[in-house]
Amino acid sequence: MRRKTVFAILSLLVLMPVITQAAGPTAAALAFTCAGCHGTDGSSVGPSSPSIAQMDPEVFIDAMQAYKADKSNSTIMNRIAKGYSDEQIKGMAWFFAKQKLRLQPQQHDPQLARLGAELHDKYCEKCHEDGGRPGDAGTLAGQWMPYLEYAMADYIAGKRPYPRKMQRKVDAAIKDQGDKATSALIHYYGSQH
Amino acid sequence: MKNISARPLVWFIFSAFFLLCSTPTQSTESGVGLLLGEAIPPGFDPETGKRIIPNQRCMKCHGDENEKTDTRDDGSIVDIYVEPHKLKDSVHGKQDCTNCHVTVTRVPHREAPEVVVGCVECHRQTWLDHKDDPDGKHERLGVVIEQIDSFMTSVHARPNTRDQSSTNATCYDCHDAHNIGSLGSHQRAEHRLENPEVCGACHRKQLSEYRESDHGKAVLEKGDSESAVCSDCHTTHDIDSPEGGSVMLTITENCGSCHEDAQKSYRSSYHGQVNKLGYTHSAKCFDCHGGHKVRSVDDPTSTIHLDNRLETCNKCHEDAPEGFLGFHAHGHGNDFEKYPGIWIVTKFMQLLIIGVLGFFWVHVILWFYREYQDRKAGKSFAHPHPGEDTVYVRRFTATWRWIHLLFAVSTMILVLSGTTLLFSHTAWAGIVMTMLGGPEVEAILHRTAATIWIGVFLVHFIIAMSNIVRNRDTFRWFGPSSMVPNMQDLQDVGAMFSWFFGRRERPNFDRFTYWQKFDYWAPFWGAAVIGFSGIMLFAPKLTAAFLPGWVFNIATIVHAEEALLATMFLFTVHFFNSHFRPDRFPMSTIMFTGAVPLEEFKFEHRLEYERLKASGELEKCLIKPPSEAMEKGSRALSVVLILAGLGLLTLVFIGYLTMPS
Repeated sequence: MRRKTVFAILSLLVLMPVITQAAGPTAAALAFTCAGCHGTDGSSVGPSSPSIAQMDPEVFIDAMQAYKADKSNSTIMNRIAKGYSDEQIKGMAWFFAKQKLRLQPQQHDPQLARLGAELHDKYCEKCHEDGGRPGDAGTLAGQWMPYLEYAMADYIAGKRPYPRKMQRKVDAAIKDQGDKATSALIHYYGSQH
Repeated sequence: MKNISARPLVWFIFSAFFLLCSTPTQSTESGVGLLLGEAIPPGFDPETGKRIIPNQRCMKCHGDENEKTDTRDDGSIVDIYVEPHKLKDSVHGKQDCTNCHVTVTRVPHREAPEVVVGCVECHRQTWLDHKDDPDGKHERLGVVIEQIDSFMTSVHARPNTRDQSSTNATCYDCHDAHNIGSLGSHQRAEHRLENPEVCGACHRKQLSEYRESDHGKAVLEKGDSESAVCSDCHTTHDIDSPEGGSVMLTITENCGSCHEDAQKSYRSSYHGQVNKLGYTHSAKCFDCHGGHKVRSVDDPTSTIHLDNRLETCNKCHEDAPEGFLGFHAHGHGNDFEKYPGIWIVTKFMQLLIIGVLGFFWVHVILWFYREYQDRKAGKSFAHPHPGEDTVYVRRFTATWRWIHLLFAVSTMILVLSGTTLLFSHTAWAGIVMTMLGGPEVEAILHRTAATIWIGVFLVHFIIAMSNIVRNRDTFRWFGPSSMVPNMQDLQDVGAMFSWFFGRRERPNFDRFTYWQKFDYWAPFWGAAVIGFSGIMLFAPKLTAAFLPGWVFNIATIVHAEEALLATMFLFTVHFFNSHFRPDRFPMSTIMFTGAVPLEEFKFEHRLEYERLKASGELEKCLIKPPSEAMEKGSRALSVVLILAGLGLLTLVFIGYLTMPS
């Protein structure tokens, strides 16, 4: 019994620093909580929630910080984001950046998609390179079309801050093709999987 | 009991393993490591945690030739284009863009990136790391480091007076870092042609003047990369205000890297000599040719066109008369077609120097040989040891001795101050000019000495003429007391040469020998040539009011050549004849004491001795020995003047032998 007590005290002494430093769950564990909306490992299966697998970590952080600061329009993400520390957000960003994006085929208008492809090359490709596939400016290719519609509506309505230069490009695309410009782009992105 | 005691150990190990696995480990010593158990994702440097931005990502925007500009957030247009093939060929082609553009951490740029590029630090560090590499691949970087050091002390590296938060210019204001070629590359040729526009981005007024110049038209209109661009004159990195003396000197020097002949002729003029010595108050290339506006002499708008030249001269020579127009600023004696008068005078003076020095140096060598042989044979004159009872002969009165001393001293001052300009290319000239106090002081010194020299010459002339007039009843122009050369002198020359060759005994002379007469008459010629040419150069406006400008070219040549002849003659031939020949070595003080021992007088002037003895006049010429103070003083004076003369001779020889061809 005495020996048992000695081991218990020893264990506590040795592990005390570690225990006091332990900040809770890992990034992976935190990321698992996102699966309900954003799908397993970030590949969404619900059309209103974007896929966040393979997402650029700094774009992820920007988005989460914008939600956290109520700078970006959302349904519940502003509440969720506030629950995480900057470190946890960064950890989740690193986690999702490494997950493979699995896309689902979507119904789209091929003609609009062709126009969208042209508009993308002209106005969007420099930032969202490679047709909008996962990169340093955020994923567009294969993204759920309903989400893209909401997102673009928020941008245009001023409910979500445009990244630098994006407004100029969107305005130019709309000036080029009118209201169908955003639809064309969305159908183009939706056509990719 | 064993089972009970093992349980806590297992618990301890398990707990430790669990906690270590679940603990969010922060950065490790060597890198970013893990965050909440998550490793840094691909595309980020595990060591620094910074995003890795491939060059092709940058070139997506910056390499698009269809969209070479971008609009800044404030609406201003900015040039963002980097020609991909130029970057590839550049010495920096293999560098990552972010190695230089260190402030760029994300692409697309979330904020307008601040262009902060630390060229200096990177190049210095690379040089430190690789300067001793055996492959020598970084050898050229040594030149870059030198240029950096020059830049750091240049006006470009100093804070801008209107905005002290920035320098006047920095590396990439001039260098297109995306298009820097190695030596001999096409980039360098292109950069050279672009040089005026690059400098002109800030120096607009100068560019506009340059555009209209011959240089500018050749470079900017005809694409002639051989013609001068800004950096050819102003240097590439050691830039400073052209108001500064050292910059003026550098620019003037740099003109000569293309206009070699023009610079040589400039350097042989007073303007160029002063400039070569490091002083800038005399005319420099750009003072006459107009700097950025330089145009051909045939161009009616040129500052050196005949119609405008007088105005240009007037910038320094106020109220210059029209005679200035005839001056050949770049005239020289090597081009008969272009400058026949200057050529003839130059050749004449060269022949005169060769002839006079050739004859007398042969005379010196043969004389030395003969006296040396005679001494060995015990036939030479043995100087008696002077004592209180030694009888002396009065040879020169105090007047002539003073005249000689003043003449000697003023001549030496003239030689020193004159050759300092003439041999401005030598290192010693710069030192002497500094010691003298600069060209302005040198000019005063030279002219003061010249005035004394001419004054002494005139006083001597008046005395000599007075003596002749006073003794007109007995004076014989070709007699033994006259300095006028006669047939006897010619015969004496022959006799001396016969003696040199051992065909006869040493000839006897009367009061004045032929070489003494030559020494005497040479200053007459010298006074005429050097004196008149000196006065012309001293008073250019007065001269040009009566004479054509090309007389300055002639005056410059004859003044220098005749002075050289006199210098070399005096400090070689005259010194030998009077001091260094074996019978006199190491010196003679006769010219300072005025007295010569009777025995020496008999030896040197036997005919005069016999003549005086026969006429009973000898007794009148005999005097007591000079006082000890006079003797010592004369020796000291002789030593000083001889050493000074030899020193000047050395300087002149150095200057003459190193003279640019």
